[in-house]
Amino acid sequence: MRSPLANAVEAVLFVAEKPVSRSEIAKAVGATPKQVDAALLELAGSYAGTGLRLAHDGDDWQLVTSPEQAAAVSAYLGADRLRVSPASLETLAVVAYRQPVTRAEIEAIRGVNCDQTIYTLMQRRLIEERGRREAPGRPILYGTTWEFLECFGLASLDDLPGALTPEGGVVERPGDVEGATRP
Amino acid sequence: MLGHEGPNVSVSGFDGPLELLLQLVEEKKLDILTVRLGDLADAYLARVRALAALPADEVASFLALASRLVLLKARSLLPALAPIVDEDEGESEEELRARLMEYAIVRERAGALGDRLRSGERQFHREGGTPVDLPPRGGEVTALAAAWSRVLALAARQREEDLVAPGERYSVEERTAEIEAIVRERGQIAFSELLGPAPTLGWAVVTFIALLDLYRRIVIDLVQDELFSDILITKKERPIVTETPA
Repeated sequence: MRSPLANAVEAVLFVAEKPVSRSEIAKAVGATPKQVDAALLELAGSYAGTGLRLAHDGDDWQLVTSPEQAAAVSAYLGADRLRVSPASLETLAVVAYRQPVTRAEIEAIRGVNCDQTIYTLMQRRLIEERGRREAPGRPILYGTTWEFLECFGLASLDDLPGALTPEGGVVERPGDVEGATRP
Repeated sequence: MLGHEGPNVSVSGFDGPLELLLQLVEEKKLDILTVRLGDLADAYLARVRALAALPADEVASFLALASRLVLLKARSLLPALAPIVDEDEGESEEELRARLMEYAIVRERAGALGDRLRSGERQFHREGGTPVDLPPRGGEVTALAAAWSRVLALAARQREEDLVAPGERYSVEERTAEIEAIVRERGQIAFSELLGPAPTLGWAVVTFIALLDLYRRIVIDLVQDELFSDILITKKERPIVTETPA
């Protein structure tokens, strides 16, 4: 049996049409943010093996369908499959694992001009501007969006697949291998 | 920048100099950690020569890496040359190797993301849909049931209005005086009692207008406990009766 608080949180997330912040949930259900954390954890666990799951981007939470049901939901909604070019995928990978990141940093890593791919990814709402770095020129910082998590079936950024190095070992955390970032 | 579709897509399918270099390492099945990058200079130059059809600014980025590789090769052939070269001029072999490794990881991650995308296992959230104006929340089921029973009672009643002979006339002034007298005498009365058991439409209208007039003149007070319930007419404590309606 789930706790009454978890049920209340579920009800709020069910009617929400956009991600709800932890503090908003706390206000709605009349609990402390800490209690909401526990309720969210409980709720996420209770969705294991169901058609729903709990997704979050930072402190924002949303009820989504589980990736295993994508075929049925796509058929119902008539949703098209997203197509992304290999070049755009590379840029997206840099943003996803290194966010927030500037265009210059993406280009330093990929070794090519990334104007076009950044533009394309912005158009598709897979990445978005996340303010500016307090550095000379105040360059724009980029990060991934909710749409990114949805399109790739990720419950949160913690779910990003670990990348294999060319040697076959798994890089545990983004940024473990420090690249020479050129000025 | 130049408006061409997908930047840096070259005739031989290389996205950029790093990708070309990485491809060479992989083709030769070399270990990225130990390969002497200078050894790849010849193979790299051979590929770059085939890129003649590329726009000049893109060839330039390939050539920049080519010159780096040639320098690394020269150093390895002539170790004595190394100390002479100013390290600030460009990246060392280790720096280039680190960049190459990081790029390799990015490409691997991009591949993993691409696989995820192709598997189609995505999530969906509840769609907002077309916004509709929802009725006010908090409707009462009991009120609805009570209203329904009143409708049934009305339907069961004889349509007396149809039977009453026309020509019946009520005066609002008369009715007002009547109600005022009742209220003064009894203190309060229910609206349903004023109407009587089976009021005609004319009777109900005249009674209602009389009540509104009395209320406007602050002779009576009107109380209704809940929606659609009976209206209680009570005598106002401080009636101002000197004022007469226009």
